[in-house]
Amino acid sequence: MFRCSGSVATYFFAGSMPDVKAESFLDALRAKRFRSIEHSASEETSVGWVTAGDPSGDSFELEDMDLDLGYHLRMRVDKKTLPAVWMGIYRSAAEKSAGRKLSLQEKRDLKQDLMSKLLPKTLPSVRLIDALYTPSRKQILLFASASGVQEQFCKLFFTTFGSNLIAGDPYNLAARLGLGREQSAYLEQVSPVTWPQAKRGSRQVDIADSPQSMSQETATEAAEA
Amino acid sequence: MSDHSADYGFLGEEFLTWLWYRMESRGGEFELPGGRMIAVSMDDYLCFAPRDDDDTEHSLRRGIPSRSPEASAALHNGRRLRKAKLIVAESSIEWSLIVDGSSMTLGSIKLPSDSEDLENPEERSRERAGNFLLIQEIIGQLYKIYLEKRLRPEYLGKEVEGQAQWMSTH
Repeated sequence: MFRCSGSVATYFFAGSMPDVKAESFLDALRAKRFRSIEHSASEETSVGWVTAGDPSGDSFELEDMDLDLGYHLRMRVDKKTLPAVWMGIYRSAAEKSAGRKLSLQEKRDLKQDLMSKLLPKTLPSVRLIDALYTPSRKQILLFASASGVQEQFCKLFFTTFGSNLIAGDPYNLAARLGLGREQSAYLEQVSPVTWPQAKRGSRQVDIADSPQSMSQETATEAAEA
Repeated sequence: MSDHSADYGFLGEEFLTWLWYRMESRGGEFELPGGRMIAVSMDDYLCFAPRDDDDTEHSLRRGIPSRSPEASAALHNGRRLRKAKLIVAESSIEWSLIVDGSSMTLGSIKLPSDSEDLENPEERSRERAGNFLLIQEIIGQLYKIYLEKRLRPEYLGKEVEGQAQWMSTH
C-alpha cells in the first residue's frame, strides 16, 4: 500500500515502452525480477523488480500494479554486509590470542573466514522503493530522495525497458509543460535575474538577463518609476 | 533538447521566490486550467540559496519564517528561495510539502487524510496514488503559470519591477 507521506522525484522516459497491458511488459519485469541473496556467503547487493502483492519477485500480476490512474512499480534492493561490530569482536579475540596486532594479510584472511561463516547466517537489509508509472504522461514518480537510490532505479529501468529516464528538473519539467513556441524558444536562452543589492527602502535593481533584457540602467529607472 | 538542464536550477528557485511574492502581493489563490481553484501558503521552513559558491545557504525553521527579519534581509540581498515548505489546498483537501526549486523535487509530502469510506488497503493505495499525482500536477501547473510570465521579454519590465520593490521593502 502506498504510504501517506514521502518524497517524490519526477522522471520522464524517452523512447517507447511496451504497452503495460501486453504480456511483453510483464515479461520485461520478470526478466529483471528480484533474486534473493538470503543464503549468499559473500557481500553483495541484489536489485530487481517485485510487486506490491508479492515482495519475493516470484510472480507479476497486473492487478497487483494497477492503480487506475497509473501503475505501481516496486524495486527491491537487498544488501548483505558483514557486520562491522562482529568483525571487530573476532579481530580483538584473534589479536589477544596471538599476543600481537594482526598483519594486513592476517586481517584479510580473518575477514574471508568470517564471511564464509557469518554471511550465510546474516539477513540482508531490505529496501522497497515505490514508483508510480503513468504511461499517458510518459512519467514516473519515484518515491526516493537519495541520489544513489534514484540512480539504481534509473539503471534498472533502462536495463528492463531500454528506455532512459530523464529527471524532471526545472528545465526538463518546463520543456514538458506545453508552453508556447515563443516561450519554449526563450527557455533555451533564459538566464538568472540578479535581484537587487538593495537596502531597506532602496529601489535599486540590478538585472542581468538574456539578450532580450533591458539594460541595468533601464531596469533601475523602471523600478524607481 | 539542450543538455544543460543542470544549469537551470535558478529557474526553479526564481519560481519559488515569485510564488512567495505573488502570495504576498495578490493572495495565495490560483486558478488552474479547467477553472480549478487552489490555495497556497508558506509554512514553517524556508531555505535561501547562496548567491555564489563562497556564500552560505540560509535555512529558517519554525514559527513564521517568511515574516522574520532574516528572511527580509535575505530578500534585500537578492537571494532566491531554494526550498520552501508549502501548504496547498484544493477545496477540502490539503497537502503539506517542501518544494526544492533547484531540482523541482517534492519532499516531505503529507497527503490529505484518507477518505473515511475506503474499505480496504487497495482502495487507500489508489486514493493516495491519486493524491500524489495531483500535488505533482498542481506544482507543475503553478510552475507553468510562472513560466508563462517569466519566459517573455516583457517580464523584465512590470513584473520584475513589482517583485524588486517587494524584495527591497519586505
